[in-house]
Amino acid sequence: MATLLDVKDLRTEFHTQDGVVHAVNGVSFSVDEGETLGLVGESGCGKSVSMLSVMRLIPMPPGKIKTGQVMFQGRDLLKVDDEEIRSVRGNKIAMVFQDPMTSLNPVLTIGTQIAESLELHLGMTREQARKRSVELLKMVGIPEAEGRLDDYPHQFSGGMRQRVMIAMALSCSPQLLIADEPTTALDVTIQAQIIDIVKRLKRELGMAIIWITHDLGVIAGLADRINVMYAGFVIETAPVKEIFGNPLHPYTLGLLGSIPRLDEHRKAKLTPIEGLPPDLISMPTGCPFHDRCRYRTEKCSQENPALELGGVRHSVACWNWQDVQKARGASAA
Amino acid sequence: MASAHTALPRQSKINLRARSPWAQLFMRLVRNVPAFIGLLFVLAFFLVAIFANVLSPYSYDKQDLDNVEKPPSALHLAGTDTLGRDMLSRLIYGTRSSAFVVLLVTAVNLLLGVPLGAIAGYFGGAVDNFIMRVADILFAFPGLLFTFLIAATVRPAILDWARANGLGDLARTGYLDYAVVILALGLIGWAGLARFVRAQVLAVKEREYVVSARSTGVPTSKVILRHILPNALAPIIVMLSMGMGFIALSEGYLSFLGIGLQPPNPSWGNIMAENAGRYWRRYPEMLWLVFIPGLLFTIIVLAFSFLGDGLNEALNPEID
Repeated sequence: MATLLDVKDLRTEFHTQDGVVHAVNGVSFSVDEGETLGLVGESGCGKSVSMLSVMRLIPMPPGKIKTGQVMFQGRDLLKVDDEEIRSVRGNKIAMVFQDPMTSLNPVLTIGTQIAESLELHLGMTREQARKRSVELLKMVGIPEAEGRLDDYPHQFSGGMRQRVMIAMALSCSPQLLIADEPTTALDVTIQAQIIDIVKRLKRELGMAIIWITHDLGVIAGLADRINVMYAGFVIETAPVKEIFGNPLHPYTLGLLGSIPRLDEHRKAKLTPIEGLPPDLISMPTGCPFHDRCRYRTEKCSQENPALELGGVRHSVACWNWQDVQKARGASAA
Repeated sequence: MASAHTALPRQSKINLRARSPWAQLFMRLVRNVPAFIGLLFVLAFFLVAIFANVLSPYSYDKQDLDNVEKPPSALHLAGTDTLGRDMLSRLIYGTRSSAFVVLLVTAVNLLLGVPLGAIAGYFGGAVDNFIMRVADILFAFPGLLFTFLIAATVRPAILDWARANGLGDLARTGYLDYAVVILALGLIGWAGLARFVRAQVLAVKEREYVVSARSTGVPTSKVILRHILPNALAPIIVMLSMGMGFIALSEGYLSFLGIGLQPPNPSWGNIMAENAGRYWRRYPEMLWLVFIPGLLFTIIVLAFSFLGDGLNEALNPEID
């Protein structure tokens, strides 16, 4: 498959009164056409900021994209002018945000909001845009789509609003959909519905997806590949089966250990990861995870490991990943 | 019983479609008694201003020399002043002056304050700093002092300029007085509104739907006009309504001090000024000459601020 999006050495920081917050620290990854990439990590690890940087939606100031290259269809999105990035946003790359209760404009009708990007990017007339909006709402499973175009966001439930957001995002048939925790604010049954809709639409439309989440359970059935992020670094990247079956980074291992499982022994306790993520203003030297890590050695506090190959299409940024693998093998046996 | 029971569904056939937001707003507004009274007085104020020529029994400058300085009577409902002019007619035309100034100053404030505030709030940085420091300078002068300064210094200059350019007739009609008053109040008033709009924009621009709109490639101008300002509209409306009473009063100050609208053009302020001296000498027979315009000021300022309060509550139902 051809590469659709190729991000290299992306660094984003925020200049605040307390100091410089290093939100994203040299992230590199790529997404193939039609691929689903899961971006996993806890709050504040740079998942959303790295995606907002790709779209150039970081508020500047205080934000600043320090270095990096975002190649998309033969051009660097960080270098093109405002006009050109606007023609990409919503058209080639679309975004769905976390909270459907706040990501629709309360004073505009749903119809107006869906039509906005249709008129903008596809040059449709109001009539055409309206017709297409009805189709889009039907596509995401909103009943009586025609009658609901003139409703305001507050007349929709959370799940319905997220469907509307997805319809809006897909209105121009983008090649890439960035979904920033689109199910986090919804209850579990609605989550499942939204995931099913996205899966179906992906089959029908064939776009690539970057799905940001902190919930490994959500991503398991959805992603082809997973990037695990920590403190602004990608620390492990692998196909989804590898992440769950053969995690190599102690942090990934910790994440998996903190998820409850249906097939677990009843008395078994969840094992949390001790400690807190590092302060992004004064980052520790060495590996950002070292002071929470069970496998740390002296080297970990001195040098930050780069991503290295630990398996087929499987990279990990850890000095001791072989020990992790061995220890896991031992405990499994 | 049975028939009543079966009749129920038909009776309870209520309209499930929500009423339009404006209709809801109006309902909430008129249910609030002070706001409703305020609204009535404000409507009356503008209606009297529009139909001044129909409502007033005499022309505002017609003298009735048989009835000079008379208290209210059937012939002159609000009495007459020292020149025998009908006070009611003068007050009605004064309402027109006041409403005219209020509307135009509000328009000037809007045209300057909203765009400047929105630009400062949205773009931030040096632009923001520049606009807000200019606003701060205007704020640094106590109250109306700056307005007085502009009115007092600009008026003679404009009148001289008009006469020098063959516009002597225009200078005599008093239209230029209106221009000076509107200019003086408009140039000062925008600062408060700009600061306020800036704060609103700062709050709204971080909302997720604004980021969402930007993520669909909406151009900046449209983001501001379509996604940010409409969501900041409610408090701006409240602010404007409250401000209108203040503008009416400010025009009164200027005209009272003789640097606003000039007699014979009537304004509540200059009516008070013309008659104030006689009032003190012949109290209380001439009470009506000063008391009535003063009462009108009180009523209109209260009306605008009750209306503003009511709008504030109607636009933010969670306040109660």
